[in-house]
Amino acid sequence: MNKVMTAKEAISKHVKSGDFLFIGGYICRSPFSAIHEIIRQGIKDLTITRSNAADDFDMLIGAGCVKRFIATFLSLGLYGLGRCYRRSLEKGIPHKIEVEEYSNLSLPMMLLAGAMGMPFVPVKDMVGTDLLNVKSFMGENKYKMIDSPFDGKPTLLVPSLNPDVGIIHVQQADESGNAQIWGIGGDCQYGANASKKVIIFCERIVTRETIGKDPSRTIVPAPKVVAVVEDPFGAHPGYTPGFYDTDFSYGYLYQQASNTEQGFKEFLKEWVYDIEDRSAYTKHYIEKLGYEAFKKLQADFDYGYPVSYAY
Amino acid sequence: MATHANDYIKPELMACCGAREIKDNDLVIVGTGFPAMSANIAKYTHAPNAIMMQESGVIDAQPKRIALSVGDPCLNPGAAMIGGLVEIMGMFLQAGMVDVGFLSGSQVDKYGNINTTVIGDYDHPKSRLPGSGGANPIGSLAKKTLIIALHDKRRLAKKLDFVTTPGYIDGPGAREKWGLPPNTGPQALITNKAVLRFDKDACEAYLASYHPGSSVKEIVDATPWELKVADDVHETQPPTSNELRVLREILDPGRLISIYEKKGYV
Repeated sequence: MNKVMTAKEAISKHVKSGDFLFIGGYICRSPFSAIHEIIRQGIKDLTITRSNAADDFDMLIGAGCVKRFIATFLSLGLYGLGRCYRRSLEKGIPHKIEVEEYSNLSLPMMLLAGAMGMPFVPVKDMVGTDLLNVKSFMGENKYKMIDSPFDGKPTLLVPSLNPDVGIIHVQQADESGNAQIWGIGGDCQYGANASKKVIIFCERIVTRETIGKDPSRTIVPAPKVVAVVEDPFGAHPGYTPGFYDTDFSYGYLYQQASNTEQGFKEFLKEWVYDIEDRSAYTKHYIEKLGYEAFKKLQADFDYGYPVSYAY
Repeated sequence: MATHANDYIKPELMACCGAREIKDNDLVIVGTGFPAMSANIAKYTHAPNAIMMQESGVIDAQPKRIALSVGDPCLNPGAAMIGGLVEIMGMFLQAGMVDVGFLSGSQVDKYGNINTTVIGDYDHPKSRLPGSGGANPIGSLAKKTLIIALHDKRRLAKKLDFVTTPGYIDGPGAREKWGLPPNTGPQALITNKAVLRFDKDACEAYLASYHPGSSVKEIVDATPWELKVADDVHETQPPTSNELRVLREILDPGRLISIYEKKGYV
């Protein structure tokens, strides 16, 4: 089944205000074009989750799309604390979001449990710290502490998560949604498969036959996928292995802009609201920052040894 | 006998202090900055078989430039294995395979507990920090942790505003009571003035060595709790010329490490 559509169609058809979204990526393959489209469409009251969030989540929060955040971490990495995240939690600008705090072990395990159809999962971290003393919108269901029925030892249980929609950016997919990645995985595979439906953004659409040449790279199979969007350069200013590098200069641009509420608004207008889609974004990038800057980000080719699945 | 250089900056000394805590064949989970540099110094000197991993999913990366994040593009080509968070934090860290983890914090107390969540009241924060990320599981589950911090009465704190990552929690027996793996916990607190170690019985950080240019008195005065001093307290061994050569010629020819001077590591 052909599920190829534009970002605009995919988001308007499958994401609505109030939804619970898993948005994958770990600096690697951050689905920025999806994030921009969500902001453009004015979708609100979202619950969002990912282990290790960065500038993309900061932007969604600053744009007022988020009500709740199931979190482990949010920063701009090299460029310090998330400005919009801070403004939201410290000053209520544009509004104060609700945060449920976990860790980079517990949250991926909660997504894995969701993907597996398990109700909850034991994890060994978080105990003895204030992560157990703060509870937000999940209330008493944030976790349960029990004595293990097997050996009586104190055991922490955390609930599984099943987001309404999972959104990930991948290197390649076929038109029915078989999605392939290589490089740092973060929590993409578990988060996407835990979700009730998945939107795939990709650098390129390939044939089903190409997918079959190296099927071990597929992390989400077609039956989970409701939409496939071909958006080259769609993870910029994050990176996609084999396609383009992280754009640290642009990261600095975002940090400087988001330092103030006004600067952030102007940044959104220039790079999101006044831009129609990812190809317009790329065009604007080249016009504003120069083709050299764009070209410099493009990856060299260094192909791996081809694998054979023959028998 | 190793020869010592005398023209080094404090972050270089701190990176070397971290490196010396790593043994050959250790499995080390690293972030960026100091931890990555420490682990690499160790690998190029006394611990050639140490293997590093990043929580984002990478084992034994072969970066051709300095990684600026734990998800940096340069960690991909040449790695021995790439998975994701469930692999690194679950299959390896939670399963008990990781020997050393590096942590840093905005506030650290005498038990080696760390705050990276909030300054001020949690519900009405003065400053909202990033949160746990991988820090809590690393502090909970690595066999030993090394903590990097600035040495003043604000960063070293009598009481944390928020305990994000467990050190020895509230003292002897606490980690065991909570079900954390036996014989784990902070091993050293490396500051810009000193190396503190943790007493096995009291679980409290004490002064083990003071960096050249500092003194026992200066360090005791800059510590908010009543800092105990080791009987054999001594000056920290300065970087050897070999350690500095590795750092400056192989790992960090651009001297990015000097950024830490601007952050107060002087």
